[in-house]
Amino acid sequence: MNLFTRRTQPQSYADPYVAGVCLGVVLLASFVLVGRGLGASGAFAAAAASTSSLVAPAAAHRNFFFADHLDSGSIWRDWLVIELLGVVIGAWISAALAGRIRKDVERGPSVSVRSRLASAAVGGAVMGAGAVFARGCTSGQALTGGALMSVGSWVFVAGAFAAAYAVAWVRRGAWS
Amino acid sequence: MSAPFFTSGSTGDLAAALVIGIGFGACLERSGLGSARKLMGQFNLTDLTVFKVMFTAIITAMLGAFFLSRIGVLDLSKVYVPETWILPQLVGGVVFGIGFAIAGLCPGTSCVAAATGRGDGFAVVFGMFAGVLATGLALPLFESFFRSTPRGGITLPAILGAPDGVVVFGIVVLALAGFAVAERIERRVIPSEARSAKSRNLHV
Amino acid sequence: MTVRRLLATLAAGAALLALVLGTSKPTGTNIDAVALANDIEHQADHVTAEELGEWIRARKKGLRVIDVRSDSEFAEFHVASAERVALTDLAKLKPAADETIVLYSEGGAHAAQGWVLLRALGHQHVYFLRGGVLDWMEDVMNPVLPERTGIAKTDSLIEQRSALSKYFGGVPRTGAVALPEAGSARALITKTKRRGC
Repeated sequence: MNLFTRRTQPQSYADPYVAGVCLGVVLLASFVLVGRGLGASGAFAAAAASTSSLVAPAAAHRNFFFADHLDSGSIWRDWLVIELLGVVIGAWISAALAGRIRKDVERGPSVSVRSRLASAAVGGAVMGAGAVFARGCTSGQALTGGALMSVGSWVFVAGAFAAAYAVAWVRRGAWS
Repeated sequence: MSAPFFTSGSTGDLAAALVIGIGFGACLERSGLGSARKLMGQFNLTDLTVFKVMFTAIITAMLGAFFLSRIGVLDLSKVYVPETWILPQLVGGVVFGIGFAIAGLCPGTSCVAAATGRGDGFAVVFGMFAGVLATGLALPLFESFFRSTPRGGITLPAILGAPDGVVVFGIVVLALAGFAVAERIERRVIPSEARSAKSRNLHV
Repeated sequence: MTVRRLLATLAAGAALLALVLGTSKPTGTNIDAVALANDIEHQADHVTAEELGEWIRARKKGLRVIDVRSDSEFAEFHVASAERVALTDLAKLKPAADETIVLYSEGGAHAAQGWVLLRALGHQHVYFLRGGVLDWMEDVMNPVLPERTGIAKTDSLIEQRSALSKYFGGVPRTGAVALPEAGSARALITKTKRRGC
């Protein structure tokens, strides 16, 4: 689907170092504008909190983890939720301009669509569990906490990368 | 008046969230991190884009924060530093890493993937929501572990007893060395035609 | 020069500059609470009246004794060589690197708070007088000293304290003080203070 461009071929990706500098500038802008960094998993926590409060409001408020996210009022006033909305918009605009919007399920050559979707969902759930205990994910802890030199963030990065390499090695047939 | 400029919860704060998010999403997509194949290349040591983008971003923001604070433009004491809980963050990190390697996308990049039409991106988003919900519901059972080993907003300079500038220098040097190593690893693993095709969004 | 080389060079240059500059705060809006707390715990935040007296008598280089009480209290009595600076003006104080500041107040509380303020602003050589003017009166101006004991070490310490008091125009008094074991002269000098922490 080429919305904004006449490209027949998708544009190649940007140089990783240049893109990294741009991302770093966005992160820095966040510090300067609002005094906090980026994040992603927190928005999922806010969504989970909102959902549980719709289903069982009293129980949700009694749960200390959900209660934390419920006190900013509406989910649409949660900073991370709005930020993640922005991520979706920004990604879409960038992809549309580059001709990279494509309905697809990315998977290794020997993997079926169903199998891929299943592992994506399972992996997502496991990440969700890890992110709750770690108070963040690669965006919040690795990027933000990394730049601010927070000890726990670097501990998280070490643990996450070590585990990911180990599991990727075990599953090395999945993408090749 | 020094930065940060918007107070938490104000409309300016939320408007900034949207703009910052757009920049974030665009950078992620531009660098190809919305592709599970590219992300997994990091862990199969065939495509180290994740490392390059992430650590370039970290050192850029870190250097920027250091110098802006030094010249008095940014008041670092007003910037929220993620707090430390050593044990839960180590265990949470390991669990997260396991999930990441299975899913091939992280929470932020899964949204990027979904935004560009990837079905696996949607699946990860759905899975993450379910996982966070279930863990949140079960969390009271693990409350003491969740709250264990707190260290507050402790930073590497504080724990090493070194000035900020020294730690910043050390991290940048390590990152630059890491980039040099990454380039060598990529050169060794992939023959040159495959390398130029890799940078385009094509199946190789 | 490729973009990458340029970025790498910029990064390396910036990192070197950061190394040279050291800390990221210009002059503390960041308060290193841990360092301050450590100093308090290790008694590195204050001096006793006797210690201050010794410093003044020895004309310690760069010593500035600062009275944070009101003008009238200062006029009524102040420690020799002291200057008056109100708490609210402490922030404007710009001590030189080789100066040592000793703050004092009536009982020590305001001076201790002034200590926190100056340390938070980044000044290093700052102390407050524990016990304030009250302790100065009790330990230096009108100390209660035991009678001569005949033990050389103990007697010379009594002499020292008496001389210090007289240097400031004070009047030492003799009184009954329970003597600890012979030889523990330090215990003789130290008295139980009323204050807690």
